[in-house]
Amino acid sequence: CEGLGHYCTLGGAAAQGSEGRPAPEARVHFRVARFIVEAGVNLGMRSIPIATACIIYRKFFCETNLDAYDPYLIAMSSIYLAGKVKEQRLRTRDIINVSNRYFNPSGEPLELDSRFWELRDSIVQCELLILRSMPFQVFQHSHKYLLHYLVSLRNWLNRHSWQRTPVAVAVWALLRDSYHRGLCLGFQAQHIAVAVLYLALQVYGVEVPAEVEAEKPWWQVFSDDLTKPITDNIVSDLIQIYTIDTEIPLRPWPSLPKEKPGMVSCLGTLPPRRHDGWSPEDQLGGLVVLLEKGW
Amino acid sequence: MDRDLLRQSLNCHGSSLLSLLRSEQQDNPHFRSLLGSAAEPTRGPPPQQPLQGRKEKRVDNIEIQKFISKKADLLFALSWKSDAPATSEINEDSEDHYAVMPPLEQFMEIPSMDRRELFFRDIERGDIVIGRISSIREFGFFMVLICLGSGIMRDIAHLEITALCPLRDVPSHSNHGDPLSYYQTGDIIRAGIKDIDRYHEKLAVSLYSSSLPPHLSGIKLGVISSEELPLYYRRSVELNSNSLESYENIMQSSLGFVNPGVVEFLLEKLGIDESNPPSLMRGLQSKNFSEDDFASALRKKQSASWALKCILISGFHQYLL
Repeated sequence: CEGLGHYCTLGGAAAQGSEGRPAPEARVHFRVARFIVEAGVNLGMRSIPIATACIIYRKFFCETNLDAYDPYLIAMSSIYLAGKVKEQRLRTRDIINVSNRYFNPSGEPLELDSRFWELRDSIVQCELLILRSMPFQVFQHSHKYLLHYLVSLRNWLNRHSWQRTPVAVAVWALLRDSYHRGLCLGFQAQHIAVAVLYLALQVYGVEVPAEVEAEKPWWQVFSDDLTKPITDNIVSDLIQIYTIDTEIPLRPWPSLPKEKPGMVSCLGTLPPRRHDGWSPEDQLGGLVVLLEKGW
Repeated sequence: MDRDLLRQSLNCHGSSLLSLLRSEQQDNPHFRSLLGSAAEPTRGPPPQQPLQGRKEKRVDNIEIQKFISKKADLLFALSWKSDAPATSEINEDSEDHYAVMPPLEQFMEIPSMDRRELFFRDIERGDIVIGRISSIREFGFFMVLICLGSGIMRDIAHLEITALCPLRDVPSHSNHGDPLSYYQTGDIIRAGIKDIDRYHEKLAVSLYSSSLPPHLSGIKLGVISSEELPLYYRRSVELNSNSLESYENIMQSSLGFVNPGVVEFLLEKLGIDESNPPSLMRGLQSKNFSEDDFASALRKKQSASWALKCILISGFHQYLL
């Protein structure tokens, strides 16, 4: 993946197939992102850990071919990893249960059998796989910035105007939804935060008082290097997410790639390619590496 | 649906949004009834053309308008009101919780005239103000406002807004003698707004706690020290002396910004509920989630099932029959 300003091909314009519709890979990633968000809610995950899981998943498939690994397994490992890194430790058993339920809504709880343990092992092994594939990048989420911007804006707006307009809830919804695509891989965290706020104010027709008389517009205050074209781009990409949502059926599941040897069929998951049998020391080292990389 | 909110949006975007809404939400019964009244002119002087968009260039906005029209039933739903406390809050003086910033209007460099006008539009009875005594008369004392002590945090120090504290609103500090003798010009005073004449820009304050709303009644009114001045004001003063400092720099160098609990703190302050997370995706609405699918519920069911199987396998159940 290139740096800011370019999307991972999976999320941005390059992901358009013919007729401007999302390319097949992009559709898979969109669905998996939805899986992560839904599973995250059922696991009681907060917004930032869920967002982190989405990013980990996306970044992994920036480097790696979609055919090589089962995306849902990578997603489950991403959830597990994100929970560790963002101080909301989750148990693999819960991740497995919630994921199983997602694919088999009316099924019975999973048996504690060899398939269960294989799946658990796969998640842990994938975790290390993901860690080793991460390029060095300190990653920032928009949430913290957005919340501060909201406080600043709230003080300037008339309080009755603020109370009757659900700006805070709307921006939080927009930001959470934005992780269905890899916006944060293509734009700065602060820029996304401002753009989301800008969109919400536009939606509700909220005027920032004395905007016209100001020397500097409010959105420029929040981010010095933000420009109107960038804001418009982000807003456009955000809105597109909702269009894609209506175009991609989320169920039935994408048909899995041609049968690969050793495929675990209970959740339709593939074991990871490398079966090195990493030791606990390796696992610990991997986590340290991730934390050092600024996650 | 929230009629006023919808009208606010329509006022901004004009008739093109109205027609989009009509086509997107035609099956929505709530909207059909609202559409009649929302399309009518609001109270007050009727505008020339009721649905003329506020700004001329609405063409580039069509994407946003389509978005609004498709999601209108979610965006304008009454259930979306935030849970933030409707009552004004005390300014957070602790800099540890989050990055307390100088007022936004200071960065925006909004002219004093507009700040003044908006202050008098937005100030409310029961708000706490802080100022310096400028003169003492027989009927009370005047103070020049420095900053706010509750509710909206505004930059007002240079606006030279004065407030009167009448004698009857000054508690006496001794059994005899003039209550005013306790005070001197230059004293920093914390007081509650008691009366507002918005048109004439006159304010009357009180030093009695009864002038404050119940949740603020614990705040000490009267003389305060300069150390007790709110953090946002001190940051505002710093910004004045170094006006090139950016919002981002100030925020990122603030201790509160790196507080591990900052997100949780601000979510609560803003009334955003993570346990019932909002979304504009139809599939992610809270009604689509069931407690039966939560990790804890699944775990319980699974544990019970495993336990039962263990009993059956061990043959223990034979003893129960």
